[in-house]
Amino acid sequence: MLTIVPHLRTRRPSPTTIEYTVSTSPSLTFSLRILITLTILLRTLIGFSVLLLLYSRYDLAFPSTRIIIAPPFFTDERIWYTVHLILSSRFGLLALRTAPQIPVFILLPLSAAILYLLSLRIHTTESLLVLHGLGIQTSTSSATYLSSATTRFIPTAKIQDVLVNEAFKGFEVRYYLVIVVDEEEDVVVVFPRLLPRRAIVERVWRGAMGCLYAVEGENKMKV
Amino acid sequence: MPEHDGLMRIFWPLDLPRTHSPGTIVGWRNSGLDVFVVGVLEDVDARSVEGALKVGTLFRSSSHPIERIFGLCEQSTMHVLGLANIPGSEVDALQIHANTGPAYRLPLISCARASTIQIVMYDRPLPTRMQYISLNPISLALSDKAGMVTHLPGSVDAQEEQEEMKAKNKKELLVEKLKLHTVSKHSPSPKDEALPKIVNQINCSWEVNKLLQNNVSLVGRRSRRTLSVSERVVESATTMLEIITLAVWEVLTLYMYPVVRRGFVIGLLCHRVVAEALLLLLEWRPKPDYAALKDISATAQQVEIRLQQFCYWPMQHVTLRKRKKDWESVTTNHPDYIRFYNSLWLVANDVIIGIALGSYIIDNAAWVAESISEILRLYSIGSLRNTIAWLMGWPAGLKLNGELATFLGDLFLWVIDHWSNCVEALRPVLPHLIWFIGFSSFAGASMPIALFSDLLSILTLHIYSFYMASARIYNWQYTILLSLFQLFRGKKHNVLRKRIDSCDYDLDQLLLGTILFTLLFFLLPTVVVFYLTFATARMAIIILKAVLDTLLACLNHFPLFALMLRIKDSQRLPGGIRFELRDTQTIMTRSSNKEMPLPTSYISLKSVPLTFRAMFHQYFQLGHRIRSHYLSPLVILCLATGKFVPPIHRKNLYSLQYSMLPARRAGIMDMWNVLTEQDPAGLKRNVYPDFKVNTKRLNGNVRRYHH
Repeated sequence: MLTIVPHLRTRRPSPTTIEYTVSTSPSLTFSLRILITLTILLRTLIGFSVLLLLYSRYDLAFPSTRIIIAPPFFTDERIWYTVHLILSSRFGLLALRTAPQIPVFILLPLSAAILYLLSLRIHTTESLLVLHGLGIQTSTSSATYLSSATTRFIPTAKIQDVLVNEAFKGFEVRYYLVIVVDEEEDVVVVFPRLLPRRAIVERVWRGAMGCLYAVEGENKMKV
Repeated sequence: MPEHDGLMRIFWPLDLPRTHSPGTIVGWRNSGLDVFVVGVLEDVDARSVEGALKVGTLFRSSSHPIERIFGLCEQSTMHVLGLANIPGSEVDALQIHANTGPAYRLPLISCARASTIQIVMYDRPLPTRMQYISLNPISLALSDKAGMVTHLPGSVDAQEEQEEMKAKNKKELLVEKLKLHTVSKHSPSPKDEALPKIVNQINCSWEVNKLLQNNVSLVGRRSRRTLSVSERVVESATTMLEIITLAVWEVLTLYMYPVVRRGFVIGLLCHRVVAEALLLLLEWRPKPDYAALKDISATAQQVEIRLQQFCYWPMQHVTLRKRKKDWESVTTNHPDYIRFYNSLWLVANDVIIGIALGSYIIDNAAWVAESISEILRLYSIGSLRNTIAWLMGWPAGLKLNGELATFLGDLFLWVIDHWSNCVEALRPVLPHLIWFIGFSSFAGASMPIALFSDLLSILTLHIYSFYMASARIYNWQYTILLSLFQLFRGKKHNVLRKRIDSCDYDLDQLLLGTILFTLLFFLLPTVVVFYLTFATARMAIIILKAVLDTLLACLNHFPLFALMLRIKDSQRLPGGIRFELRDTQTIMTRSSNKEMPLPTSYISLKSVPLTFRAMFHQYFQLGHRIRSHYLSPLVILCLATGKFVPPIHRKNLYSLQYSMLPARRAGIMDMWNVLTEQDPAGLKRNVYPDFKVNTKRLNGNVRRYHH
């Protein structure tokens, strides 16, 4: 419900600049926004409880002196006092009781795995920006919230060709868009994670060629 | 110029003031409709600016020759590109008119000749903070090592290299084939080819803009107001102070500085001579294919790396000093700067850690020596002896050949006894040795690690020789068994044709061969267990040494400075550029009351910081090499048949540590020339630029009073 089949969105403020975005995110309606906010809240809650579990395990292994009386607000002790408050709440006591029952060699990898899963993005967004006279830029959103999107800019002078290729993936044949770069061994795959269907790829190819080589591109499309 | 596409491309700096005041847009015109805006000169007439640009009034009192900037930007002069905020004014067909009021988030630009407009907005990198942008990622390693060391033919590494070359050639063929698939070759337009030039223009734009804004008061209508009395008093007071400091400075630089400098240079040169002698000793090979001292010992190699660094630093420093004679916008030396300070910082770190480690070791020399000798006795002698004794008496229920096991075991035990006597003799010396190691660590923590690595090799020499001996025996037996097995099958190995032929053996040959085969086959397990034991011990030592080597690599090469820069100011480590299409819907609607002239796209250009992966690229490469060497089928085959496992070539293993050093170090004479040639120029430079800087500052003050 949160994600849909990859679909294409085009932004074209002027005929010489086009951005194709392929994304699994549906258009945001009000109910969807609420749903996404709720999932984020749920994620933070689970993440927080995992951290609490880990901290209580640490606290049981290496007990530290608790600060019980409330110190002034802008001090370091205040943080430890808050920690104490959390630990002595009902939630904290539950964590203190559960933590010693899980062995460390299970607890640590398990919580690392959960924290990693929580940091995963729901949607994948990949885009291709074609600038006439400058070049092509591919960009792929990262898998987790921890890092930003990776982009790759290829100047027009270095683009040898842009073409649609086919390849086996599992038991199906996928069509994908590649950019052949001069003097480079590997080709650059556009939309590498989503690999949208052929209709989208063809549309993007036509548009990109037309924009990149404004005059010559038209002749090519006739072929 | 055939600008058939009618596309106007404008590079627009993001930090231009958003005011209504009229101005003249100045910048570079790369081709007819491809312009690069450097700045907007406010309240001046376009015609007078044009004249000032031609005469050079606007480039007056620049700190360095302006021709250098022109050369970098590949332009012979700057141009007036258009007008800002003068509605209803007449502009040329190629010139632009911009509206940059505070109401607009983005500038509104129109041009008579253009049918569409691309506005690329860039942030000016600050050259004073050494920020810059580049199309290609900055390289942290020196790249002059290609094809320096060649392997001996026939060695494992040569084979590996050959395979690598083969794969590379195959890929090149594929790339060539891919070129045939291109249907039509598009010839790049002038706009496409302008990109490298534009990158330089972006890098220079901050300094050029500053220069223009400083000199804008010299242009056009504004007359220069004379200073008031109080201002004059302030100015003369400051100049008086300047004159006094200048005089003192001159005396110092004229009389003291050359002497100190000459002394320093001579000191450096003496140091260089000593270093050269030591390096020659470390690199001396009795024969070209023999190992040099630095190839055998980790300590020698560590010393060599340090000496090479000391040899390289003066050269590097002189190169960096030359940077000050040029515009700050020249970015060619920035990677050198990062490399230089990275190696300096690593050495400083190394020494600091070393002092801590050394003082600890010296304070506890007796205890450290005691525990080390205890560990040695326990693991390299005691447990080995126990294992051999265990192997002699049917280990794990395996019925080995008792006689052979006793023979081999006795042999090894006898050697171990002798070795333990030697180690016992060494024991009283060990505290002194440890003290020496501790003392050496004041030269850096890498020294004791390297020394410890060497000490480990020496003190486990017996395990190495056991491994060699048992591997030899095992290998002999294995080859004999193979050929006897052929005899058993009635075949033989034809050496000339490298194949298995049938052969008619006599009865006695067959009988004797079969008996020998049976005998050797039943003796094989006994030899195998001994071989396995020593091979495992040897592997454990190799792994330990690999850990120490990794530590050394981290201490010698870790990209500490680059990491710090990445966190502090990622603009200084450019890893390419990135474009971002801005949303223009809001701007369109806002300006809909006037006629919206042209379809315009707003694109922002940003610098991509170097990725962490690229920073640690060499570590990944090293890991890949080690993996492909030690997990290759050939090595496993060697291990299984008892052949000597070839160690990974040092060029591969230590290329990481040498990656910040030049492949060929500069000679003594080169260094002398470099250090002395700069003398007269250096002196002059030291006197005058300061003066210039001060006058510039004064000019700046004067300008501020005008407003």
